[in-house]
Amino acid sequence: MNLKTLWQRPDARFLILFLTILAIGFGVVALKWVNERVVDPYTEVVAQMSAGLLRLFGEEIVVSGCNLSGRFSVTIYNGCNGLITSLIFVSGVLAFPASLRAKLIGFLGGLVAIQLINLVRIISLFFIGVYFPKFFNQSHVVIWQSVIILAGVSLWVLWANRFAAPSQPAKAEGGQ
Amino acid sequence: MTKKNPPVDPCRSFLRRLPLTLLAGMLVWLMVRPVLDVAVCALTETLIRAFEYPRVTRLVAINHGAEVRRSDFHTASGVHTQALTEIHFNIIVLLALSLALSRPFGRKRLERLFMAASLLYLTQVLTLLFHVKYLYATALGEWSFQNYSRLAREFFGFCRYFSDLPGRFSFPFLLWLGFNWDQVAVILGNQASRESTKPSGKRARKGKQR
Repeated sequence: MNLKTLWQRPDARFLILFLTILAIGFGVVALKWVNERVVDPYTEVVAQMSAGLLRLFGEEIVVSGCNLSGRFSVTIYNGCNGLITSLIFVSGVLAFPASLRAKLIGFLGGLVAIQLINLVRIISLFFIGVYFPKFFNQSHVVIWQSVIILAGVSLWVLWANRFAAPSQPAKAEGGQ
Repeated sequence: MTKKNPPVDPCRSFLRRLPLTLLAGMLVWLMVRPVLDVAVCALTETLIRAFEYPRVTRLVAINHGAEVRRSDFHTASGVHTQALTEIHFNIIVLLALSLALSRPFGRKRLERLFMAASLLYLTQVLTLLFHVKYLYATALGEWSFQNYSRLAREFFGFCRYFSDLPGRFSFPFLLWLGFNWDQVAVILGNQASRESTKPSGKRARKGKQR
């Protein structure tokens, strides 16, 4: 089976495109220059947004870079800023056959949704750290990482079904 | 008069099942966790020792961590422990996605789940392997510089980064997609796939209704 034959299969084409876009995306994000000028500032913005939300709940939070300190201390690293899930989601959107408009909706809507879910994750982990510190590690690694990956997949499935799927042709009438 | 069943939206069914299958996946993972700890450590140790001379590395699963022990190190040397939960928790995602598909306990589905889980296990072994090699190549001071070239340190650093973050997150999704494309295409709204996966045994209605 050569590449041309493989390319004609929709599942193989999607996987090839998806893996290529994903590899390029992760490769770019891994560059030191990009990490210093894009990823770190982005993570600091996520930390600031989280601190703002925690203050709404009455918490006194001090933000230092990516670290939130209050009744519990949380540091947001790469992997906790929603970037990886966003890259996987965006790769899925770009690799899937759909109109430009549908891809734009997926790109923007999906990124916003993933960030909202990530903020909920950070806030909930803060409070788990305050009230149930024994369960912090399990909640962080097992529960929330699984949830955020599945949330990204669900958003992609929803987008592909609602925005990217071709409209069904009208059924021919007659003989009934 | 025959009752018409409302058409089932595969996408909605899949998304509705997902929270439940996530819980099921977590329960299964909790039950097999001790076995996974030992299995991941064992194969990783075998692979490391296969390319090591002398064969000195031992990976011991203790308290859901892999203790990295070398028989050529001083007895007073510190022992590094790599958390295993972070490495194999992603089987929860694969289980949740697979069980949320329709007819998840059919023979074909179970075979595919077994194959996908086996491949995921191999990625988990590779992840632990790269963690250990990265530790050897960069975190043991002068010994690392003596035994690993700059290229080796960059290589293991890259592999560790890739398997740790993007790999851990994306492998379950990729495997699920690859082994279940026919069903996933139906959920995504692919009209051709929907028609080709209509359940057999039901007569298509032709002509006039009774």
